[in-house]
Amino acid sequence: MDFASNITISALFQQTLVGLSRTTILFIVASGLSLILGVLRIPNVAHGSLYMIGAFIMYSVNLFFGGGQAGFWMAVLLSPLAVALISLAVERGLFQHLYEREHLMLLLFTFSITLVFGDLVKMIWGSDYRCVDLPAAFQGFFTILGFPFPRYNLFLILTGPVVAFGLWFLINKTRIGKIARAAAVDREMVGAIGINVSLVFAAVFVIGCFLAGLGGALVAPTQNIRQGMDHAIIIEAFLIVIMGGLGNIWGALLGALIFGLTDSIGILVWPQFAIVFPYVVVVIVLLFCPKGLLKSTW
Amino acid sequence: MRKKMWLPVCLALALAFLLVGTAAQAEKTIKVGIVDTYTGPPSTYTNDVRDAFKLATDKINAKGGILGKKIEFVTRDDKFKVDIGLSAAKELIMRENVDILMGTINSGLTLAISDLCEKEKIPFLVTFAKSEKITGEKGNRYVFSMNENTAMAGKAGAAGLAKKPYKKYWIAGDDYEYGHAIADSVWNHLKTLRSDVVLLGQSWWKVGEPDFTPYITAMLSAKPDAVIIATGGAGCVPFLKASVATGFNKSVPFFMHTATEMSTLAPLGLTAPEGVLGTSNYFYYFPDTPENKAFVKEFKDAYGRFPKVGALYGYITANFIAKAYEKAGEINTEKFINALEGMSIGSPIGELTVRAFDHQVMFPMFMGTTKKVEGYDYLIATDIVTIPGKDVMPSIEEIKKARGVK
Repeated sequence: MDFASNITISALFQQTLVGLSRTTILFIVASGLSLILGVLRIPNVAHGSLYMIGAFIMYSVNLFFGGGQAGFWMAVLLSPLAVALISLAVERGLFQHLYEREHLMLLLFTFSITLVFGDLVKMIWGSDYRCVDLPAAFQGFFTILGFPFPRYNLFLILTGPVVAFGLWFLINKTRIGKIARAAAVDREMVGAIGINVSLVFAAVFVIGCFLAGLGGALVAPTQNIRQGMDHAIIIEAFLIVIMGGLGNIWGALLGALIFGLTDSIGILVWPQFAIVFPYVVVVIVLLFCPKGLLKSTW
Repeated sequence: MRKKMWLPVCLALALAFLLVGTAAQAEKTIKVGIVDTYTGPPSTYTNDVRDAFKLATDKINAKGGILGKKIEFVTRDDKFKVDIGLSAAKELIMRENVDILMGTINSGLTLAISDLCEKEKIPFLVTFAKSEKITGEKGNRYVFSMNENTAMAGKAGAAGLAKKPYKKYWIAGDDYEYGHAIADSVWNHLKTLRSDVVLLGQSWWKVGEPDFTPYITAMLSAKPDAVIIATGGAGCVPFLKASVATGFNKSVPFFMHTATEMSTLAPLGLTAPEGVLGTSNYFYYFPDTPENKAFVKEFKDAYGRFPKVGALYGYITANFIAKAYEKAGEINTEKFINALEGMSIGSPIGELTVRAFDHQVMFPMFMGTTKKVEGYDYLIATDIVTIPGKDVMPSIEEIKKARGVK
């Protein structure tokens, strides 16, 4: 009865747009994770916590500036920066001493950080749900082909390519990007030619975490900010990174597109069992391309 | 050699003192063990239960306690996990020698503790878990429900919806016990009240789904007259948010149990959607009676915030415990249970009675719609209709059928 009962071209188009706005958030978070995974070789489970902290800081900054346009833009700007600062402290204080350890150790270590961050968030913000109100310009919706489409989601869709271009530019056109790419392939060789690999690693880690904070800040107005939002995103982000190819930014983009679109179109096609669609796609992709769709840097 | 002998001797002595100490204490007080979720999102609800319980017991103790004994309580955090909560319950029974257990917000855990309490013969007063199985299919002599359940909410929701002209429905909710239970309950009752309703389809999302926009746009394409939303706790806030962002609340009417509760509406401030139909057991601004006003003032003076629905559950639980022991005349579990069966007490929302057959407190349901009202920083429920407890309770025949008793 439920299967494919309401599919029209306009409904499909609508779901695609909604899926794309979701893709933006997934891409921003997953690309940061992938960057750190590719260059530093750290499976950073705490990435989700930084996303959550980004959302909470967004809430506080927005409140501090009294909401509206000023509050929103200051919060979107400041909360990823704050998250980047936190990550810098974590990297310089802890991670830089651990790069030589094996992956399992690093994984456990980042996991312990998620627990610490989780408790810190509870101590600072408490356990009540928090909400960020959008400035008036972003409230409401456009009607596209007879269906409502939230204005803010359109903003998200436009943000996605900007972030992707910024990352592309950073990795391909800047010195630090080139060194980072080289270090991802052979970190000893990069060190041998006199480059301070440790600092490059710190920079990459901070950029990756900045993206987590940005994702959290951008997603904050669309949902309730709460404890536990870190777990939900980190699982999806890891699946996307694995599906796209470890450490490959374009893989993260491709993975996020596949994940976001199968999710939203699945909901239209078969709403009763929509939960499984993205995961089934992950399984299929990994069956045929066990190393991910694009070239892994590992 | 001699030196080493001291250690076990000291240990034994210390242990003996400890045992004597707890035994002596157990005689002086009535001990209640609370297992509940104090970490993560559910603590928004559970803190109120504990705080109001403390408020009520402090008052009882100040008057000299029950039968000359004071009520004391200890809490354990179950972290919303069945295994952790169950071992905490065991520990409270074995080591803390509690007379009564209460909690929890997790339906699965509540059913497990209920099972344990039946074996250990410890009364278990449930404060928040909403599965109708607790006092229905899986009910037993030792478990009591101090809150409403999915069967009651479903019946209340169906009664409200049946009066509306909607025919084509869509059901959407959290894909777990609570979501399905409440959806089934609303829908089954609605079908018996109205033979002309049809179900166009259903959407089920994972618990904790952060973004409902794709679900809402997909539902819109099916063009239902009304939607039954079966999401609880953490899902209510983002759902209402997404419904405003997509204009869903203006194009399709929907019913959502707990939509009108303060824990859902307060975080959204004035941006929450108006006109959402919801049911709840308690509002601090309704009913507008001296009893409720006194309770709200007492709670607000003590904790600096308004009481939410959990506060009512905690408050009446303490008062039921006090009155039942008083009626029993001694601290005796079996007599306590006999006394509690069919017992009525006054409460902030009027008189409440424990139904003797299934140990379910017969809560009235307050059905209202969300609205902006001057003087409040967030939306409140208005046009509240009270559906009396006896009208929303599942019948004793239904309970018997669920339990397989003839």
